[in-house]
Amino acid sequence: MSSVATSEGAAVGGVPDAPVVMPRGRRRTEALMLVFSVGIVAFAYANVGFGLKGAPPAGMAGYMIAFTVLLVIAHLVVRWLAPWSDPLLLPLAATLNGLGIVMTYRLQEVGRDGNPGAMSVPLSTSATLIQIVYTAIGIGCFVAVLVLVREPRVLQRYTYLFGLIGLVLLALPALLPSSISEVPGTGAKIQISLGGFTVQPEEFAKLALAVAFAGYLVAKRDVLSLAGRRLVGIDLPRARDLGPVLIVWAVSLLLLVFESDIGTSAVFMGLFVCMLYIATQRTSWLLIGFALFVVGAYTASKLFSHVGERFDIWLHPFSGLNPSHNAFQLVQGLYGLGAGGILGKGLGAGQPYLTPLVQSDLVTTAFGEELGMTGLMAILLLYGLIVQRGLATSIAVKDPFSKVLVGGLSFMLALQVFVIVGGVTRLIPLTGITTPFLSQGGSSLVGSWMLIALLMRISDTARRPPPQPIQDEGMTQVVNLS
Amino acid sequence: MNRALRRVSIAVLFMFVLLLANVNYLQAFEADSLASKPGNSRAFDAQYQYQRGEIETADGTVLARSKYVGGTYKYQRQYPQGAEYAPVTGYDSLYGASGVESGENSYLVGNSSKLAVRNVIDMITGKPKKGATVQLTIDSKAQTAAWNALKSSGKAGAVVALNPQTGAILAMSSYPSYDPNQLAVLSGDQLNTNDKNLLHDPSQPLLNRAISATYPPGSTFKIVTSSTLFAQGKENQNSLVSAPTSLKLPQSSVSLINNDGEVCGNLGNGKATIITAFTESCNTAFANIGMQVGSAALKSMAERYGMNATSPTLNQELSTQVAKSNFPLEPAQSFTAMSAIGQKDDTVTPLQEAMFAATIANNGTLMRPYLVQQVQAADLSDVYTASPQAQSTPVSANVAGEIKQMMLSVVSSPDGTAHQFANAIPGVQIAGKTGTAQNGINNSGLNDAVFTCFASSGNRSMAVGVIIQGGGYGAAAAAPIAVDVLKSYLENG
Repeated sequence: MSSVATSEGAAVGGVPDAPVVMPRGRRRTEALMLVFSVGIVAFAYANVGFGLKGAPPAGMAGYMIAFTVLLVIAHLVVRWLAPWSDPLLLPLAATLNGLGIVMTYRLQEVGRDGNPGAMSVPLSTSATLIQIVYTAIGIGCFVAVLVLVREPRVLQRYTYLFGLIGLVLLALPALLPSSISEVPGTGAKIQISLGGFTVQPEEFAKLALAVAFAGYLVAKRDVLSLAGRRLVGIDLPRARDLGPVLIVWAVSLLLLVFESDIGTSAVFMGLFVCMLYIATQRTSWLLIGFALFVVGAYTASKLFSHVGERFDIWLHPFSGLNPSHNAFQLVQGLYGLGAGGILGKGLGAGQPYLTPLVQSDLVTTAFGEELGMTGLMAILLLYGLIVQRGLATSIAVKDPFSKVLVGGLSFMLALQVFVIVGGVTRLIPLTGITTPFLSQGGSSLVGSWMLIALLMRISDTARRPPPQPIQDEGMTQVVNLS
Repeated sequence: MNRALRRVSIAVLFMFVLLLANVNYLQAFEADSLASKPGNSRAFDAQYQYQRGEIETADGTVLARSKYVGGTYKYQRQYPQGAEYAPVTGYDSLYGASGVESGENSYLVGNSSKLAVRNVIDMITGKPKKGATVQLTIDSKAQTAAWNALKSSGKAGAVVALNPQTGAILAMSSYPSYDPNQLAVLSGDQLNTNDKNLLHDPSQPLLNRAISATYPPGSTFKIVTSSTLFAQGKENQNSLVSAPTSLKLPQSSVSLINNDGEVCGNLGNGKATIITAFTESCNTAFANIGMQVGSAALKSMAERYGMNATSPTLNQELSTQVAKSNFPLEPAQSFTAMSAIGQKDDTVTPLQEAMFAATIANNGTLMRPYLVQQVQAADLSDVYTASPQAQSTPVSANVAGEIKQMMLSVVSSPDGTAHQFANAIPGVQIAGKTGTAQNGINNSGLNDAVFTCFASSGNRSMAVGVIIQGGGYGAAAAAPIAVDVLKSYLENG
């Protein structure tokens, strides 16, 4: 295309325009990478069957066809609605989603059909099918976001509506009775469970609040970034501008206290502080936000036993009765990682079922055990690539709202991975949040696909070539009327 | 805003680097330490994912093998010989192991550093991992003879037979015993039940009496007492020693008498030659000898025979089950007199009994007892072969010869305490010493029957120690068992 532009410029004969390097859509790259990710997932799926029974799993063909069809639909919709978007985001998300399905199948087979082991909470025999259905819903929502949000700036109009939706979704489980909202056995009130159908509203609240934060911060960024005094080299904001930070802080603390959901609380706080920093470039906001979170978490650890216990488990997992009681889950996960070693036991050949609830929060340890350090690092790099693509988009995009939104969403994904993977590998205290795309369950998967849709929508905007000025109209025709 | 975004990107990069570094640390560097943490069932289950090595006797009888059963634990341990070999093999259960199963675990599992190179080659060539085969020194005929004899006696007791020239353990039997298959079950609940039953069984079947229990040696200790005296070089088997019918112990109201108050020898002057006193097992004579040489000399000699060893031999091969045979320094002459005839605080294991005879049979040199002859990797290459080692030389060949004469006399002389076995094995002369040890508070318990002996035929020789708890006379309860074991081994030479 650039060569065409050059030759056209030269054809005019006058001063040639500088050659404009036109970004390419790279949809073919995306298609090729999607073939690659379907290949990886199919290989892993077959591997589970061979690891367990020495034969490809029954029903593999059906699941893989369904998975492929869903990706083809997603790809076609991207070609239609976001042709300039980043070509790697969809294949990266698809690979993670596919590996999640594979692990769901692997864990579903535990203790069934003569396979070894027993899950602490067994998966239903249709868990894999359900996960595929969730994938379909996720990709449906991905398409819906691309269809409804043609321009990212449209979202900015509904800043306060999204804020309200986000808060309601967050608060809902805390207000509902425990029988509906508590995750069995964990004490965390983070879901709405009605008639066998479970939704974790926080997965969607995160997205709504990210949009609301971006809208608010872009509107107020001048006052937040300029007003204030300078003290020992740090620009301090005015006291009255602290309001929004304090409100978000308070909400995150309420989450901590009423829903026992430390991980999500940290993710919210991190998301907001990061967006505030991107919008204002003011380091003081980072410091204030971080200080508030640390103070809040420390106070909570002293006041509430369930928070303090998390710290004890983190610091002393192997001492006293911890390995067989409070720290049992973490310790079993660590044993799994250790058993996996460098190359892993192979899919279907490890014992991930020894770790309680391995299908949700600790799913990374299952991958670490069966795919080893090598596989787990590859998975972490897949996340890293998504985040990197998001951050690159936020630098490339011009519109401030999109910049703050996509920067915040990318950081949130990174933070979520850091909190949960860091938690299960004992880098930081373990707090139960889902692993995007990999954990068994619907809300997280659907929310993650919507996040990818937002990233792709904004990257489409960022990479879309500017409308071509009409350059070559030819000579103005002189018409002699006389 | 881009400046802030770049900083956020660097922070994100840092977060991912931390995660990757931590995963490396955990899975590459910490894996071994995690695997050795208590309660790590993965590391534990891993042992059951491939075939554990076999345990077999010197003549190839399979004592323990792993059979494929499928399931979480792919292999189950089997002990085809059951209770007979339990004191040797021990068991390998879900919750722990004992005996050779425990002591040789690293070979049987295949994790020994000596197998590391082979394991890597097997991993590369895709050969399934298999533990190494451990071949013991046990002779299956001697073992069976010992087991059958103990079983038919019906009393608790144990037999240990040694090759005096090498120290190889030819038989090690303890009765009552247990079926190790009961502890090799793969169901935790079943295992708990079986284990509890065995632990609460009043007959203590799990106790390996051959090495883990100690008993008073009684008159068999006179071998050590004689050794102490002869080692001083002044006396020999023909020296006269005061052997009254009753001996009043110094600073004590107790008088020591010979068995049934018999007169020692036929000299009629209260004296007897040492060989006569030994043959008839006169207590007063050896009490006098003990007081003459003193407790320190007795203790020193007993230690050279292997007593008081704080880390007794065999510990590695059999885990830490070998009990210490005890001979403390006695504070009073009366106690020394008692200890010189194997009473008071003296205690020995049946293994120690066999070591007494083995020392004499090997001309005064005690060979270190061992149980593992050879370890063979799954590819049939030798990983380990035993090399006999001298443990100590308690007495000179000369003194050993004197004592051998006395021990032969115990069996061959018409007055000998074990002379009914003079022709028990045609063409074979048995050298032995009986012991009938009083025990319990105020000697209220039944006497323990003790016998230690050796014999050789052709190129085969064997030393045997037998203790039967509450068996009564050594010659009546212990000696027949020892003779059975000798016979089974020497006649099949």
